Amino acid sequence: MVFSSITFLYYFLPLVLAIYYIVPSKCKNLVLLIASFLFYFFGEPIYVLLMAFSILITYLFGRLIGKFQDTKYAKLFLILAIIISIGLLVYFKYTNFLINNINLWLKHKIDFIYVVLPIGISFYTFQMLSYLIDVYRKQAKVQKNILKLAMYVSLFPQLIAGPIVRYTTIENQLENRTHTMEKFALGVRRFIIGLGKKVLIANVLGKLVNTFLASSEMSIIYYWLYAIAVMLQIYFDFSGYSDMAIGLGKMFGFEFPENFNYPYIAKSITEFWRRWHISLSSWFRDYVYIPLGGNRTSKIKWIRNIMIVWFLTGLWHGAAWNFVIWGMYFGIILIIEKLLLNKYIEKLPKLLSHLYVLIIVMISFIIFNGESTNQILQNIGGLVGIKNIPFAMPESIYYLKSYFVVIAIGIIASTPLLKNIINLEKFKKVVTLLEPVFLICILFISTAYIVDGSFNPFLYFRF
Amino acid sequence: MKNDTKNKIVTISFITILFIVFVLNIIKKDNTISVAERRKLAQFPTITMEKIISGKTSEDIDKYTVDQFIFRDYFRSAKSLWSNYLYRQKDNNGLFLKDGGIYKIEYPLNKANVKKSSEKIKNICDKYLNKNNNIYFSIIPDKNYYLKSDYLKIDVGEMQEIMQNTLTNIEYIDITNCLQIQDYYKTDLHWKQENLSNVVGQIERKMHLKTTSPLNNYTMHDLGSFYGSYYGQLGMNIEPDRINILKNYKIENIKTYNYETEKYANIYDLQKWQTSSDKYDVYLSGAVALMTIENPEGPYGKELLLFRDSFGSSIAPLLLENYQKITLIDLRYVSSSILDKYINFENQDVLFLYSTLVLNQNILR
Repeated sequence: MVFSSITFLYYFLPLVLAIYYIVPSKCKNLVLLIASFLFYFFGEPIYVLLMAFSILITYLFGRLIGKFQDTKYAKLFLILAIIISIGLLVYFKYTNFLINNINLWLKHKIDFIYVVLPIGISFYTFQMLSYLIDVYRKQAKVQKNILKLAMYVSLFPQLIAGPIVRYTTIENQLENRTHTMEKFALGVRRFIIGLGKKVLIANVLGKLVNTFLASSEMSIIYYWLYAIAVMLQIYFDFSGYSDMAIGLGKMFGFEFPENFNYPYIAKSITEFWRRWHISLSSWFRDYVYIPLGGNRTSKIKWIRNIMIVWFLTGLWHGAAWNFVIWGMYFGIILIIEKLLLNKYIEKLPKLLSHLYVLIIVMISFIIFNGESTNQILQNIGGLVGIKNIPFAMPESIYYLKSYFVVIAIGIIASTPLLKNIINLEKFKKVVTLLEPVFLICILFISTAYIVDGSFNPFLYFRF
Repeated sequence: MKNDTKNKIVTISFITILFIVFVLNIIKKDNTISVAERRKLAQFPTITMEKIISGKTSEDIDKYTVDQFIFRDYFRSAKSLWSNYLYRQKDNNGLFLKDGGIYKIEYPLNKANVKKSSEKIKNICDKYLNKNNNIYFSIIPDKNYYLKSDYLKIDVGEMQEIMQNTLTNIEYIDITNCLQIQDYYKTDLHWKQENLSNVVGQIERKMHLKTTSPLNNYTMHDLGSFYGSYYGQLGMNIEPDRINILKNYKIENIKTYNYETEKYANIYDLQKWQTSSDKYDVYLSGAVALMTIENPEGPYGKELLLFRDSFGSSIAPLLLENYQKITLIDLRYVSSSILDKYINFENQDVLFLYSTLVLNQNILR
């Protein structure tokens, strides 16, 4: 089930909210657990068993690590648990990718296996790993109640598209959390804004992206239109989902970490990654980069550490080479920035440093969205008119005019401009008055787009 | 307004909307068809273990909840308005509004499909026709052709060229100059029968037929409002068209024969006008694979084989003055390989009359 569906919005959510708030406090976690399993079952009827199995393994190994804390066995159990969790992730997500690559070198090809990637497996695997590692590091207490651990892993607001919530972040909230009108209203606000970002901007631009990919009438303008549309689509889709998750979390009393912080206003790629998919980059920092030695090591090892992290970050996004290249591309740029560019970037006029980030990121998303190396090279080359393609063609002009307003809205909404205006003291009264109307309008129009059966892709099926 | 009050309003409004919509959706009786969209709506699925496990039940439920959503048509209209007026998008799901008319983007020209369509026609000529047949073909431009240049539209000129390059021995009848934008319905893709006198005149000239003047030979009868197929698809509230039929005493007495149903009907099927969701079906009963119209008062032995799509339904009655029998063949519904089972190919006139929309799709069988 996805948040931007009628089934979720007008059937699942009202029912779960009603039951959750009717039952006594001690039953609320159970309601959420059942709801989360139903939510996952709706989309993955079989793989719900896999998730249950993973939770059971995590629970047992968590208990074992806790029991044998400070002995050599704790590390052994941690390694075993990691092998099983990563093993399941590799099996379901990467087996065919591996076979495909091995087959390139073999005379007698290995058959592919029939396996469908379970939605959300990358997210919940990382959550479970964070729990186990934190227990091992004594940063988290062992959760002795399997239902609470199951709820942490399967909590439906963040189950299929993040943010990756660390166990330590909501450890206390699993036991005690407050439910206030203010928190609920903030949750509603965040949820509706996220829904609007996803349905009214990302999906609309997604349609342009697909139209471009299906077209044979290429021109420089069309390539630029595509590149900008992809960039905005991915941002609004992903941050929209995160907003909805954070909003839903608040409705049920939770405080999830922020996942995006206006990444497109960054002035360097280093800063960009402090603002983009924060929960993932901090996960890799704390559980891979720092354990490898981080930057407190020789330069060579430091470069190695960065490249390992970015290789894995790329691979995490999907079992295909374009994702690996995408990750490595960022790794290389980050190294260059840290070794060479940072001192120059700092001196650059703001406009140029923003432009630098936007161009690098734009190219990265062309790689991210590419189906093949040829297509990626063509889409990047098209930006500079490779192969003498024309500057504009009727189709590109048509879609430029047709999507101009949405793109303009997307660009403005990806900066904190509106937020800053809203927060101005002199507008406070008007904003307070208009906010409920604005939110209802967004909910209404988003519903209209969903009811119309408009383009509504789920981008994270490869994550 | 204080923040507390705002929070209360936001919370209460959200909860109220969610619950009211939930309850209304539960108590609302399910619709079986969408008149506006001219399609069947998803019904609550039958649930089996197999379907649950395969994920089909979830998919079906998602389709059902969207199709049976309360005030669905109003929501679709709201989306259309938002897309058109706020986003200033030039089209909504491929349809757009221009000067009170609705248009559908048909773009780009699919050269391969046009080539296949032309080859299909050539094959029919080679297989069934001979030098005793007078063979013609004509292309009906879709109404976008008459729009200004900043809209995406099929390059009719190039389509004509591709067709003519394949059909070298067939005379081409160019009717592009015989039509204007107002000759098409505003809410539908088709042309208006009452505006076809120039097209009929051009066909008659090129096919060396007696010149008839539709406007003098017929009287026009207004049947009523017509909400064309684009109307429901766009979901915006605009003025409907009107459907007119051109009649005279001969046409009123002529019957059509449908080979599929083996039934006779009037040229203007008023039963279809009453019952069909597509009122354009009033012309020759709508989509029919194979049909004949016999005009006892027509020139003796003169026959026309009209290979046509839905546009042909409204023009065929206006060609009857020159023929004793017209056979209408819609190759979208009947395979060309079995035509000789139903048609005795002799010395008939033959006209292939297809719209750009059909030729661009390679759907001739």
